[in-house]
Amino acid sequence: MLGFLVGEALRDLRRAGRVAVSAVVLITLSLAALGGFWLVSSNLGHAVAKWRDRVRIVVYLKREPPGGDVAALLERVRVMPGVAGVVFIGKADALRALKQVLGKDAGVVDQLPVNPLPASLEVTPSAAAVTPEGARELLARLAVLPEADDVAGSADWVERFSHWQRLLTTIGLGVGFVLAAASILTVTTATTLILHARRHETEIMRLVGASEWTIRLPVLLQGMMQGLAGAILALGALVVTHSVVAPRLEPLVSLTLGLSQLVFFTPVGVVALLGAGTLLGGLGGWLARAAREP
Amino acid sequence: MIELHRVSKVYSVGPVKVPALREVSFRIGKGEFVVLTGASGAGKTTLLRLLYRDDLPSEGDVEVLGYGLVQMRRSQVAAFRRSIGVVFQDAKLLPVRTVYENVAFVLRVLGTPRRDITARAFDALRAVGLSARAQAYPAQLSQGEAQRAALARAIVRRPPLLLADEPTGNLDEAMAGEIVDVLKDIGAGGTTIVLATHQARLAVALRRRTLTLEGGRIVKDEG
Ligand SMILES: Nc1ncnc2c1ncn2[C@@H]1O[C@H](COP(=O)(O)OP(=O)(O)O)[C@@H](O)[C@H]1O
Ligand SMILES: [Mg+2]
Repeated sequence: MLGFLVGEALRDLRRAGRVAVSAVVLITLSLAALGGFWLVSSNLGHAVAKWRDRVRIVVYLKREPPGGDVAALLERVRVMPGVAGVVFIGKADALRALKQVLGKDAGVVDQLPVNPLPASLEVTPSAAAVTPEGARELLARLAVLPEADDVAGSADWVERFSHWQRLLTTIGLGVGFVLAAASILTVTTATTLILHARRHETEIMRLVGASEWTIRLPVLLQGMMQGLAGAILALGALVVTHSVVAPRLEPLVSLTLGLSQLVFFTPVGVVALLGAGTLLGGLGGWLARAAREP
Repeated sequence: MIELHRVSKVYSVGPVKVPALREVSFRIGKGEFVVLTGASGAGKTTLLRLLYRDDLPSEGDVEVLGYGLVQMRRSQVAAFRRSIGVVFQDAKLLPVRTVYENVAFVLRVLGTPRRDITARAFDALRAVGLSARAQAYPAQLSQGEAQRAALARAIVRRPPLLLADEPTGNLDEAMAGEIVDVLKDIGAGGTTIVLATHQARLAVALRRRTLTLEGGRIVKDEG
């Protein structure tokens, strides 16, 4: 029975011909747009998350506290709201880090008469504090520490970036939805043609006592097939684009965004994309049917 | 098998009421071959449509194969129709399918197991003398052959009741004779048949029980 229903649906698709093809193309475009924006946005999202993790606020200290006082100072900072972690960096540690950065030019450092680098506290804000206001409040709290000389750091740029990411997602969703609406309408048009071409079959089916679902299912199935075909094509296009673009772009994004690789859809994402296509097509088929038989 | 009790049918065309059947009552027993005759517009098609519940009477009761059609719920109609074969003046064959596929279509639609389909379709085609034309498309058939293909499709499920509305209307005398012979064969197999025709000569030649309609009333029931 299922074989029969699928066979009827395929026969219908052949009959709808060019309109069915354009419906599939539109579904491909809309899902490729939705999927493409989704990919770009989720990669940017990864970058934002990574950067959030990397936000540090540095409290430069007036002088290096004596060994016994460090633990107490760290404890006072750790209990502050918005602080996830804190590390003490002594003057000697700072100098060592500088030497490491300078590499073969490290000799310059040895020429210095005294260590000019201040001791500091490196504060990791908690997730809640990595907003512009959260970071500002934390900065203010740290600035009033009697030991503090200067406080540096901000989360504004992460926020700006995250704002762009959200904007891009919104545009992507908007474009995707417009295309999705267009593709539903095209499936509906294709299905209306199919219903017309199918009217003799439908008449005979009614006459011989076919169940209502046997009459309706081929029409719904052909819509879903259009959607699934579009989704598979869109997925293929995205796979190809990702495999061509990712290796070329990865050196650049690893430098600028700090992403070592560009992620593709998870298996769940792939299933969701295919499901969305099938749903779009099925909806188009169902709408045509509903419009005909109130 | 069939029982009508004071059945009337009035079509409403806008504000105009068109009476098509008036107080029609009769019974048809199992295995009977009944000819329904009368001039064009007498109400034959309307009556047949009531019998396979394509429409409902305005008044009266229709009972077919033990089903009360007036009370029948919509969801039961499909199951009821499976016990009835119907043919029309035009064969209504699906043009992009072969004769065999047209007949097999009914079996596939109704979920007949695949392995039974071929044998049963060919049984039906043999019964109408069309097995040699199984692979032909409807456009390649003569009108008589097309009508026989339609008959094969109607009887492929061996329904206990066969309704035929002017099945010879498009045919010349020789072809009409073939169809009538096939119908007689089917009737001889025990199928109850109601054949509607406006061709008075055909009705007479058949020498079966004949119900004559005139202006929506049964005016004669003889033979
Ligand atoms: N669907 C319909 N709507 C309105 N009037 C109809 C309809 N079908 C049939 N009629 C009218 O009912 C009467 C009987 O028609 P019909 O049953 O087709 O007669 P027959 O089959 O004997 O030629 C005619 O007057 C016809 O015009
Ligand atoms: Mg008629």
